[in-house]
Amino acid sequence: MSLRDQASTDLERIIENDGDFAWPVTVTSPWGQTESLKGFTNDIGQEIDPETQVSVAGRTASVALSLRTLADTFGQLPIGVTDETRRPWVVCFTDVDGNELSFKVSQAMPDAALGSVLCMLEAYTQ
Amino acid sequence: MTAQIGELIEARDAAEILRDEIAAILKVESAKQQELAKAATEYKDPLGWKLRVFVERSNPWHEFQQAPDNTGALGEDPSPIVNVAVDQLSYDMSKSDIVERLHNTTTYNVDCYGYGQSASDNKGGHTPGDYLASTEALRAVRLVRRILMSGHYTYLGQPKGSRFVWRRWVQAVQIFQPAIDGRTVQHVVGARMQFQVECNEFSPQVQGETLTLVSSSVKRAETGEVLIEGDFSP
Repeated sequence: MSLRDQASTDLERIIENDGDFAWPVTVTSPWGQTESLKGFTNDIGQEIDPETQVSVAGRTASVALSLRTLADTFGQLPIGVTDETRRPWVVCFTDVDGNELSFKVSQAMPDAALGSVLCMLEAYTQ
Repeated sequence: MTAQIGELIEARDAAEILRDEIAAILKVESAKQQELAKAATEYKDPLGWKLRVFVERSNPWHEFQQAPDNTGALGEDPSPIVNVAVDQLSYDMSKSDIVERLHNTTTYNVDCYGYGQSASDNKGGHTPGDYLASTEALRAVRLVRRILMSGHYTYLGQPKGSRFVWRRWVQAVQIFQPAIDGRTVQHVVGARMQFQVECNEFSPQVQGETLTLVSSSVKRAETGEVLIEGDFSP
Protein backbone atom coordinates (compact mmCIF):
# COMPACT_ATOMS: atom_id res chain seq x y z
CA MET A 1 0.00 0.00 0.00
CA SER A 2 1.41 3.38 -0.94
CA LEU A 3 1.67 6.26 1.49
CA ARG A 4 -1.16 7.95 -0.31
CA ASP A 5 -3.42 4.90 0.07
CA GLN A 6 -2.42 4.75 3.72
CA ALA A 7 -3.24 8.43 4.18
CA SER A 8 -6.64 7.97 2.57
CA THR A 9 -7.45 4.98 4.78
CA ASP A 10 -6.26 6.79 7.88
CA LEU A 11 -8.35 9.86 7.06
CA GLU A 12 -11.51 7.81 6.69
CA ARG A 13 -10.78 6.07 9.97
CA ILE A 14 -10.13 9.38 11.76
CA ILE A 15 -13.25 11.08 10.39
CA GLU A 16 -15.50 8.21 11.45
CA ASN A 17 -13.82 7.22 14.71
CA ASP A 18 -16.23 7.51 17.68
CA GLY A 19 -13.33 7.57 20.08
CA ASP A 20 -11.93 10.75 18.52
CA PHE A 21 -13.79 13.78 17.22
CA ALA A 22 -16.31 12.00 15.00
CA TRP A 23 -19.90 13.14 15.54
CA PRO A 24 -23.22 11.58 14.43
CA VAL A 25 -24.52 13.32 11.31
CA THR A 26 -27.74 12.63 9.42
CA VAL A 27 -27.53 13.29 5.69
CA THR A 28 -30.64 13.48 3.49
CA SER A 29 -30.31 13.56 -0.28
CA PRO A 30 -32.57 15.60 -2.60
CA TRP A 31 -34.43 12.42 -3.53
CA GLY A 32 -35.22 11.74 0.15
CA GLN A 33 -32.69 9.06 1.07
CA THR A 34 -31.62 9.56 4.70
CA GLU A 35 -28.53 7.97 6.20
CA SER A 36 -26.80 8.23 9.58
CA LEU A 37 -23.10 8.82 9.13
CA LYS A 38 -20.20 10.10 11.18
CA GLY A 39 -18.06 13.11 10.46
CA PHE A 40 -16.31 16.21 11.81
CA THR A 41 -18.82 18.96 12.48
CA ASN A 42 -18.05 22.64 12.94
CA ASP A 43 -20.38 25.48 14.00
CA ILE A 44 -18.58 28.58 15.24
CA GLY A 45 -18.76 32.34 15.42
CA GLN A 46 -16.40 34.20 13.15
CA GLU A 47 -15.43 37.73 12.29
CA ILE A 48 -16.42 38.57 8.71
CA ASP A 49 -16.06 41.55 6.45
CA PRO A 50 -19.37 42.48 4.78
CA GLU A 51 -17.62 45.33 2.93
CA THR A 52 -19.11 48.02 5.12
CA GLN A 53 -15.67 48.96 6.47
CA VAL A 54 -16.70 47.44 9.79
CA SER A 55 -16.08 43.80 10.65
CA VAL A 56 -19.07 42.03 12.15
CA ALA A 57 -19.67 38.75 13.91
CA GLY A 58 -20.98 35.94 11.75
CA ARG A 59 -21.47 32.22 12.13
CA THR A 60 -20.07 29.49 9.92
CA ALA A 61 -20.85 25.79 9.95
CA SER A 62 -19.34 22.87 8.07
CA VAL A 63 -19.07 19.09 8.14
CA ALA A 64 -16.29 16.85 6.84
CA LEU A 65 -17.37 13.40 5.67
CA SER A 66 -15.68 10.41 4.11
CA LEU A 67 -15.87 10.63 0.32
CA ARG A 68 -15.92 6.84 -0.01
CA THR A 69 -18.78 6.47 2.49
CA LEU A 70 -20.86 9.10 0.71
CA ALA A 71 -20.25 7.58 -2.71
CA ASP A 72 -21.05 4.05 -1.49
CA THR A 73 -24.16 5.20 0.39
CA PHE A 74 -25.73 7.69 -1.99
CA GLY A 75 -24.04 6.91 -5.28
CA GLN A 76 -22.95 10.52 -5.65
CA LEU A 77 -21.42 13.33 -3.62
CA PRO A 78 -23.40 16.23 -2.11
CA ILE A 79 -23.51 19.49 -4.02
CA GLY A 80 -24.93 22.92 -3.29
CA VAL A 81 -28.41 22.92 -4.84
CA THR A 82 -29.53 26.35 -6.08
CA ASP A 83 -32.50 25.14 -8.11
CA GLU A 84 -35.62 26.15 -6.18
CA THR A 85 -37.63 23.29 -7.66
CA ARG A 86 -35.36 20.73 -5.99
CA ARG A 87 -34.75 19.82 -2.39
CA PRO A 88 -31.21 20.52 -1.24
CA TRP A 89 -28.82 18.13 0.48
CA VAL A 90 -29.75 18.44 4.17
CA VAL A 91 -27.37 17.75 7.04
CA CYS A 92 -28.52 17.46 10.65
CA PHE A 93 -26.50 17.12 13.82
CA THR A 94 -26.75 18.16 17.45
CA ASP A 95 -24.74 20.87 19.17
CA VAL A 96 -22.91 20.53 22.48
CA ASP A 97 -26.21 21.08 24.34
CA GLY A 98 -28.02 18.39 22.39
CA ASN A 99 -30.07 20.84 20.29
CA GLU A 100 -30.87 19.40 16.89
CA LEU A 101 -29.66 21.67 14.08
CA SER A 102 -30.49 21.31 10.40
CA PHE A 103 -28.51 22.79 7.56
CA LYS A 104 -28.53 22.91 3.80
CA VAL A 105 -25.29 22.11 1.96
CA SER A 106 -24.40 25.40 0.26
CA GLN A 107 -21.01 24.26 -1.05
CA ALA A 108 -19.25 20.90 -1.22
CA MET A 109 -15.49 20.68 -1.67
CA PRO A 110 -14.26 17.13 -2.23
CA ASP A 111 -10.63 16.10 -1.82
CA ALA A 112 -10.40 13.22 -4.23
CA ALA A 113 -6.77 12.47 -3.32
CA LEU A 114 -7.30 11.82 0.38
CA GLY A 115 -10.98 10.92 0.26
CA SER A 116 -12.87 13.58 2.20
CA VAL A 117 -15.64 16.02 1.36
CA LEU A 118 -15.93 19.34 3.19
CA CYS A 119 -19.50 20.66 3.06
CA MET A 120 -20.13 24.34 3.92
CA LEU A 121 -23.54 24.67 5.53
CA GLU A 122 -26.25 27.28 5.84
CA ALA A 123 -29.27 27.33 8.12
CA TYR A 124 -32.28 25.45 6.79
CA THR A 125 -35.83 25.04 8.00
CA GLN A 126 -37.38 21.69 7.12
CA MET B 1 -6.58 85.49 26.27
CA THR B 2 -10.12 85.74 27.67
CA ALA B 3 -13.02 83.52 26.63
CA GLN B 4 -15.63 85.45 24.69
CA ILE B 5 -18.57 83.03 24.55
CA GLY B 6 -20.69 83.53 27.63
CA GLU B 7 -23.39 80.97 26.94
CA LEU B 8 -23.24 77.21 27.46
CA ILE B 9 -23.06 75.39 24.11
CA GLU B 10 -25.49 72.50 24.52
CA ALA B 11 -27.91 72.65 21.63
CA ARG B 12 -27.48 69.81 19.13
CA ASP B 13 -26.44 70.49 15.56
CA ALA B 14 -28.98 70.19 12.76
CA ALA B 15 -27.16 67.09 11.49
CA GLU B 16 -27.80 65.28 14.79
CA ILE B 17 -31.39 66.48 15.09
CA LEU B 18 -32.20 65.44 11.52
CA ARG B 19 -30.55 62.04 11.96
CA ASP B 20 -32.92 61.29 14.84
CA GLU B 21 -35.78 62.81 12.87
CA ILE B 22 -35.10 60.48 9.93
CA ALA B 23 -35.13 57.47 12.25
CA ALA B 24 -38.35 58.66 13.92
CA ILE B 25 -40.03 59.19 10.54
CA LEU B 26 -39.13 55.66 9.42
CA LYS B 27 -40.31 54.14 12.69
CA VAL B 28 -43.61 56.00 12.78
CA GLU B 29 -44.43 55.43 9.11
CA SER B 30 -43.51 51.74 9.30
CA ALA B 31 -45.97 51.35 12.18
CA LYS B 32 -48.63 53.19 10.20
CA GLN B 33 -48.03 51.00 7.16
CA GLN B 34 -48.55 47.90 9.29
CA GLU B 35 -51.86 49.33 10.54
CA LEU B 36 -52.94 50.03 6.96
CA ALA B 37 -52.00 46.48 5.96
CA LYS B 38 -54.09 45.05 8.80
CA ALA B 39 -57.04 47.20 7.77
CA ALA B 40 -56.82 46.23 4.09
CA THR B 41 -59.85 44.37 2.75
CA GLU B 42 -57.64 41.85 0.98
CA TYR B 43 -55.35 40.03 3.41
CA LYS B 44 -51.86 41.52 3.66
CA ASP B 45 -49.26 40.38 6.19
CA PRO B 46 -48.36 43.48 8.25
CA LEU B 47 -44.85 42.10 8.78
CA GLY B 48 -44.20 42.95 5.14
CA TRP B 49 -44.04 46.60 6.19
CA LYS B 50 -42.17 46.21 9.45
CA LEU B 51 -38.78 47.89 9.87
CA ARG B 52 -36.56 47.71 12.93
CA VAL B 53 -34.84 51.09 13.14
CA PHE B 54 -31.51 51.81 14.82
CA VAL B 55 -29.34 54.91 15.03
CA GLU B 56 -25.52 55.00 14.85
CA ARG B 57 -25.03 51.26 15.41
CA SER B 58 -21.87 49.59 14.11
CA ASN B 59 -23.23 46.07 14.04
CA PRO B 60 -27.02 46.17 13.93
CA TRP B 61 -27.29 42.96 11.96
CA HIS B 62 -25.94 41.09 14.94
CA GLU B 63 -29.63 41.00 15.87
CA PHE B 64 -30.00 38.37 13.14
CA GLN B 65 -27.67 36.03 15.01
CA GLN B 66 -30.63 34.86 17.04
CA ALA B 67 -33.15 35.05 14.23
CA PRO B 68 -35.38 32.02 13.65
CA ASP B 69 -32.85 29.27 13.99
CA ASN B 70 -32.61 26.21 11.89
CA THR B 71 -34.60 24.07 14.26
CA GLY B 72 -37.66 25.91 13.03
CA ALA B 73 -38.24 27.49 16.43
CA LEU B 74 -39.02 31.19 16.39
CA GLY B 75 -36.10 33.15 17.76
CA GLU B 76 -35.54 36.87 17.36
CA ASP B 77 -37.38 39.04 14.82
CA PRO B 78 -36.23 38.44 11.21
CA SER B 79 -37.74 41.71 9.93
CA PRO B 80 -35.38 44.02 8.00
CA ILE B 81 -33.12 46.23 10.07
CA VAL B 82 -32.45 49.88 9.21
CA ASN B 83 -29.53 51.81 10.67
CA VAL B 84 -29.28 55.59 10.27
CA ALA B 85 -25.79 57.04 10.68
CA VAL B 86 -24.08 60.32 9.83
CA ASP B 87 -21.39 59.71 7.23
CA GLN B 88 -20.17 63.13 6.11
CA LEU B 89 -20.68 66.82 6.79
CA SER B 90 -19.64 69.43 4.24
CA TYR B 91 -20.09 73.19 4.24
CA ASP B 92 -20.69 75.49 1.26
CA MET B 93 -19.04 78.88 1.75
CA SER B 94 -20.95 80.50 -1.12
CA LYS B 95 -24.28 79.76 0.58
CA SER B 96 -23.16 80.69 4.08
CA ASP B 97 -22.10 83.86 5.88
CA ILE B 98 -18.90 84.08 7.86
CA VAL B 99 -20.58 85.46 10.98
CA GLU B 100 -23.60 83.36 11.86
CA ARG B 101 -24.83 80.67 9.47
CA LEU B 102 -23.20 77.71 7.76
CA HIS B 103 -24.87 75.94 4.88
CA ASN B 104 -24.35 72.27 5.69
CA THR B 105 -24.81 69.24 3.48
CA THR B 106 -25.01 66.10 5.59
CA THR B 107 -24.79 62.68 4.00
CA TYR B 108 -26.51 59.96 6.00
CA ASN B 109 -25.93 56.25 5.47
CA VAL B 110 -29.33 54.63 5.77
CA ASP B 111 -28.33 50.95 5.77
CA CYS B 112 -31.05 48.36 5.23
CA TYR B 113 -30.32 44.73 6.11
CA GLY B 114 -32.44 41.84 4.88
CA TYR B 115 -32.35 38.39 6.45
CA GLY B 116 -33.08 35.14 4.68
CA GLN B 117 -32.99 31.50 5.66
CA SER B 118 -33.38 28.60 3.27
CA ALA B 119 -36.52 26.60 3.90
CA SER B 120 -38.44 23.74 2.40
CA ASP B 121 -41.51 24.79 0.44
CA ASN B 122 -43.18 21.44 1.22
CA LYS B 123 -43.70 20.91 -2.51
CA GLY B 124 -40.49 19.11 -3.32
CA GLY B 125 -38.40 22.26 -3.63
CA HIS B 126 -37.02 24.97 -1.37
CA THR B 127 -36.67 28.74 -1.06
CA PRO B 128 -32.99 29.77 -1.10
CA GLY B 129 -31.86 31.93 1.80
CA ASP B 130 -29.62 34.16 -0.34
CA TYR B 131 -32.58 35.03 -2.59
CA LEU B 132 -34.75 35.82 0.43
CA ALA B 133 -32.08 38.00 2.04
CA SER B 134 -31.58 39.97 -1.15
CA THR B 135 -35.28 40.53 -1.79
CA GLU B 136 -35.81 41.55 1.83
CA ALA B 137 -32.99 44.09 1.66
CA LEU B 138 -34.40 45.60 -1.54
CA ARG B 139 -37.89 45.65 -0.11
CA ALA B 140 -36.63 47.53 2.95
CA VAL B 141 -34.71 50.11 0.91
CA ARG B 142 -37.74 50.58 -1.32
CA LEU B 143 -39.92 51.31 1.71
CA VAL B 144 -37.30 53.66 3.20
CA ARG B 145 -36.86 55.60 -0.03
CA ARG B 146 -40.57 56.05 -0.59
CA ILE B 147 -41.14 57.23 2.96
CA LEU B 148 -38.27 59.73 3.06
CA MET B 149 -38.89 61.08 -0.45
CA SER B 150 -42.63 61.41 0.11
CA GLY B 151 -43.95 64.91 -0.38
CA HIS B 152 -45.09 64.85 3.26
CA TYR B 153 -41.43 64.88 4.26
CA THR B 154 -40.00 67.41 1.80
CA TYR B 155 -38.54 69.25 4.79
CA LEU B 156 -38.28 66.15 6.98
CA GLY B 157 -41.14 67.23 9.19
CA GLN B 158 -39.58 70.63 9.93
CA PRO B 159 -41.74 73.79 9.60
CA LYS B 160 -41.44 75.13 6.05
CA GLY B 161 -40.51 78.64 7.08
CA SER B 162 -38.03 77.63 9.76
CA ARG B 163 -34.95 77.96 7.48
CA PHE B 164 -33.82 74.68 8.98
CA VAL B 165 -33.94 72.22 6.09
CA TRP B 166 -33.30 73.36 2.55
CA ARG B 167 -33.90 70.05 0.83
CA ARG B 168 -33.29 66.28 0.98
CA TRP B 169 -32.22 63.91 -1.78
CA VAL B 170 -31.35 60.28 -2.34
CA GLN B 171 -27.83 60.29 -3.73
CA ALA B 172 -27.34 56.59 -4.42
CA VAL B 173 -28.23 53.08 -3.31
CA GLN B 174 -25.52 50.43 -3.16
CA ILE B 175 -26.04 46.77 -2.43
CA PHE B 176 -23.42 44.95 -0.35
CA GLN B 177 -22.17 41.93 -2.20
CA PRO B 178 -21.48 39.13 0.28
CA ALA B 179 -17.78 38.41 0.68
CA ILE B 180 -16.73 35.12 -0.84
CA ASP B 181 -14.97 34.12 2.36
CA GLY B 182 -18.09 34.94 4.37
CA ARG B 183 -19.90 31.61 3.94
CA THR B 184 -22.14 32.46 6.85
CA VAL B 185 -24.80 30.17 8.22
CA GLN B 186 -27.43 32.88 7.90
CA HIS B 187 -27.81 35.00 4.78
CA VAL B 188 -27.78 38.74 5.36
CA VAL B 189 -27.70 41.22 2.47
CA GLY B 190 -27.25 44.94 3.01
CA ALA B 191 -28.34 47.91 0.92
CA ARG B 192 -26.90 51.34 1.69
CA MET B 193 -28.95 54.39 0.74
CA GLN B 194 -26.89 57.59 0.78
CA PHE B 195 -29.31 60.29 1.83
CA GLN B 196 -28.27 63.95 1.54
CA VAL B 197 -29.85 66.74 3.52
CA GLU B 198 -29.00 70.42 3.15
CA CYS B 199 -29.65 72.49 6.25
CA ASN B 200 -28.43 75.47 8.25
CA GLU B 201 -26.07 75.33 11.19
CA PHE B 202 -25.72 78.23 13.61
CA SER B 203 -23.10 79.26 16.17
CA PRO B 204 -22.95 81.44 19.33
CA GLN B 205 -23.13 85.10 18.36
CA VAL B 206 -21.91 88.31 19.91
CA GLN B 207 -24.64 89.75 22.11
CA GLY B 208 -24.83 93.51 21.42
CA GLU B 209 -24.94 96.14 24.13
CA THR B 210 -27.48 98.94 23.87
CA LEU B 211 -25.64 102.26 23.73
CA THR B 212 -28.32 104.75 22.69
CA LEU B 213 -31.95 104.11 21.84
CA VAL B 214 -33.00 105.89 18.66
CA SER B 215 -36.57 105.70 17.47
CA SER B 216 -38.36 107.57 14.72
CA SER B 217 -41.81 107.69 13.25
CA VAL B 218 -42.79 108.82 9.75
CA LYS B 219 -46.06 110.69 9.21
CA ARG B 220 -47.80 112.40 6.30
CA ALA B 221 -49.22 115.88 6.95
CA GLU B 222 -52.56 117.00 5.55
CA THR B 223 -50.67 118.90 2.91
CA GLY B 224 -49.09 115.63 1.82
CA GLU B 225 -45.70 116.59 3.15
CA VAL B 226 -43.77 113.68 4.72
CA LEU B 227 -42.67 114.47 8.26
CA ILE B 228 -40.29 112.48 10.46
CA GLU B 229 -40.16 112.69 14.22
CA GLY B 230 -37.10 111.38 16.02
CA ASP B 231 -36.51 110.47 19.66
CA PHE B 232 -32.93 110.29 20.93
CA SER B 233 -32.95 108.86 24.42
CA PRO B 234 -29.60 109.02 26.26
